[in-house]
Amino acid sequence: MEEGKRNSAGVFTHLERLEAQAREIAVKQEKMKQEEEKRARLKARVRELRLQRDKLLAKVRLQKKKLREKRAMSDPAKSGARAVLEWKIKNIKAMLQVSYVTGINGKRTKQGVCFCISTAYESTYLDSYYVHLLVKPEVQIHQHSVPTFIPLEQIAKMYLQTDIGRFLSVLSDHLNAYAGRKYQADQLQEHFSDQIEGTLQRNSLCNLLVFNYKVSSKSKTFPFNARLLYGDLCCSLPTEVNVSCTPDAPASLAEMAAAHSDLFSRVALHKAFRSFSSDEESMDGAP
Amino acid sequence: MDETVAEYIRRTVLKIPRDEIKTMLQKWGLLSETQLQTINFRQIKENISQDVVQLCEENSADIKQAAILDIIYNHVYPNKRVWSVYQMKKTGEETEFFDLTDFKKKFKRRLRSALKNVTINFREYEDNAIWIRIAWGTPYTKPNQYKPSYVVYHSQTPYVFISASVLKSNLPLLCQALLLASNYHDIREMELRSHSLNSLKDIVFKRYSQNFQTHYPRPLQERNVAPESADLRIIQENRSEKERIERVNREVFGDGPQPKLEFAQYKLETMFKSDPQMDVLDKKEPFRCLVKFSSPHLLESLKSLAPAGMADAPISPLLTCIPQKARNYFKIRERKNFFPGSFVSP
Repeated sequence: MEEGKRNSAGVFTHLERLEAQAREIAVKQEKMKQEEEKRARLKARVRELRLQRDKLLAKVRLQKKKLREKRAMSDPAKSGARAVLEWKIKNIKAMLQVSYVTGINGKRTKQGVCFCISTAYESTYLDSYYVHLLVKPEVQIHQHSVPTFIPLEQIAKMYLQTDIGRFLSVLSDHLNAYAGRKYQADQLQEHFSDQIEGTLQRNSLCNLLVFNYKVSSKSKTFPFNARLLYGDLCCSLPTEVNVSCTPDAPASLAEMAAAHSDLFSRVALHKAFRSFSSDEESMDGAP
Repeated sequence: MDETVAEYIRRTVLKIPRDEIKTMLQKWGLLSETQLQTINFRQIKENISQDVVQLCEENSADIKQAAILDIIYNHVYPNKRVWSVYQMKKTGEETEFFDLTDFKKKFKRRLRSALKNVTINFREYEDNAIWIRIAWGTPYTKPNQYKPSYVVYHSQTPYVFISASVLKSNLPLLCQALLLASNYHDIREMELRSHSLNSLKDIVFKRYSQNFQTHYPRPLQERNVAPESADLRIIQENRSEKERIERVNREVFGDGPQPKLEFAQYKLETMFKSDPQMDVLDKKEPFRCLVKFSSPHLLESLKSLAPAGMADAPISPLLTCIPQKARNYFKIRERKNFFPGSFVSP
C-alpha cells in the first residue's frame, strides 16, 4: 500500500531526477570533450615547440662550430686565451731548444729529473751523457752514464745537496774538457799518424799524453819527445808541456822544441800539428 | 830456441782458427812479411804450426815473445775464458796522472820481489785497455805458460777484469801488485762474472743500454718491431695490455741490446714462511737453497720473458737489478730488505 502511494507520488520526482542526471552527464561529457580538444591542441603545440627547439639547437651548434673555425683562422693576437697558450708552449719549446744548445737539458720523470749533458769541442758535437737524479727524500743519483774515471762522486759530494745547477755545470765542464782532450788525441792519431812514432800513449782521462814525433815527413827518426800534462780537469789545454829532443841534437832542434812546447800549451794539438805541416810547405816553396 | 818455447808457440798456433792464423801472426809482428809468405796457410794446421815454429827458430824467439802471441789470441777470443770483476778503492781523492811506464815498472817490481820465476807481459790496446799476462812459477820451477792469469785494466778506473789462473794461490800477490801499481788501497771481488769481457766492461763502465728519459732521445738503433699482422680479420684483444708490457719492459731494460751474462745465482738464507697452523718447517733455521738462472744470454732472455707472456711485467727487481748493481751472484738473507719484491720462479 505504502509502496503504491510512493510510486504514484514518486514517478515525477523520479523522472525529474533522471532528467537532472542526464543533464549532468551531458555537461560532463561536454567538458571532457572540451578538455580533450584542449589537450590535443597543447600536445600539438608541444610538438611544434620541440621541433623549433631542435632547429634552434642545431643552429646554435652550427654557429658555434663556424665561430670556432673562424677564430682559429683569424689573427692570433685577437683570439684570446687559446692563442696565448699556444704561444707560451712554442716559447717553452724554443727555450728547451736553447737549453739543448747550452749542453744541459732535463726532463721530469716519475721519480725525479733526468738530465742530458751533451759535449762539444770547437763546434763539433761529441758524446752525450745522462744523469738521472732522484729528488725525494734527498737529492741523489739514481742512474747515470758518466764514465767511471770522471770524478762524479766527488763532484756530487761537493754540490749535489746544496746547488744542483752548480753540480751540473761542474760535471758538464769535466765532461766537455774530457771530450775535448780525447778529441784532440784522436784527431792527432787519425790525421798525423805518419808523424808520430807508434801510438800515442795516453790514459783514460786523457790527462797525460806521451809521444815521439817529427815535424818533417822526410825525417827518418822521431827526434822530439812530448809529454803533455793536463792538470786542470775542466780544461782541454795542457798545464804542463815538456818537449825534449835527443841530447846530441843540434841547437836548432832544441830551439824548435822550446817553440813547440809553447805552441802545445796554447793551441789544440791537431791544430799545432797542422801548423807544422803548413810551415814545412811554405819552407819548401821558398827557393 | 828453447824447446819449451817452440812447443808453446806450436800449441798456441794450433788454437787459432786456420783462416785467422795469418792475420794474428801479422799482428804479432815477430815474423817478417817475407817469412810469412813462405808459409802455406792452406795446409793442415799441424803443418802450419811446424812451419811457424821453424821460422821462429830462425828469429830465435824467446818466451816473452811467445807470450805476446798468446795475448793476441786471447784478446781476439776473450770469451774462451771466464772473467771476474774486481773493484779497487782508495782513501784519497787526488787526481792521478796515470803514467803507463810507471804502472808497468811498479807492477813488475812488486811481483818480481815476491817471486823470481814469473813471466810478465803487457800489451796496450786502442780503447786504453792494458792487457797483462802473468805466467806463474815457484821458487824452484819455471813459470807454467799453460796456466797464466790475465788482467785487463783501464787506467784511472777502479775496476780490474781478472781471468785468474788455475793456480789460485797467486791471486793475492797479483792483487797486491795491482793496488801498488795503480795507487789504490783496497781490492775486492765484485761477484760479477761472465765469459763476455766486453759485457762486463759495459756493465761497470755504465755503457749498457739504460733507459734515460729526455726531450731529445738518442736515435733508436733499429728496434725490432714485430711486423703488424696484415690480416685484418685478426684483432688484438689485449692491445692496451700488450702496450703496457712493452712500455714497462722498455723502462726496465732500455732500447738497446743487453750485456751478455750466462748466469745469475741467488743464495737464499731466508726463513720459511708458512701459515702457523700448518706447522710446516716451523724452525728458526734459515731455509737454505740456491737458485741459479742460466742462459746463453741471460739478460736478453729475461727481457723477452714478459713480452712472451711467460712472466708478469715488470719482472722482479731481483732479476732486473743485475746490470745496475753490477753483480750476478747474490746472497739473500732475512731482514735485510736490500732487494724489494718477491722471489720469482719463471
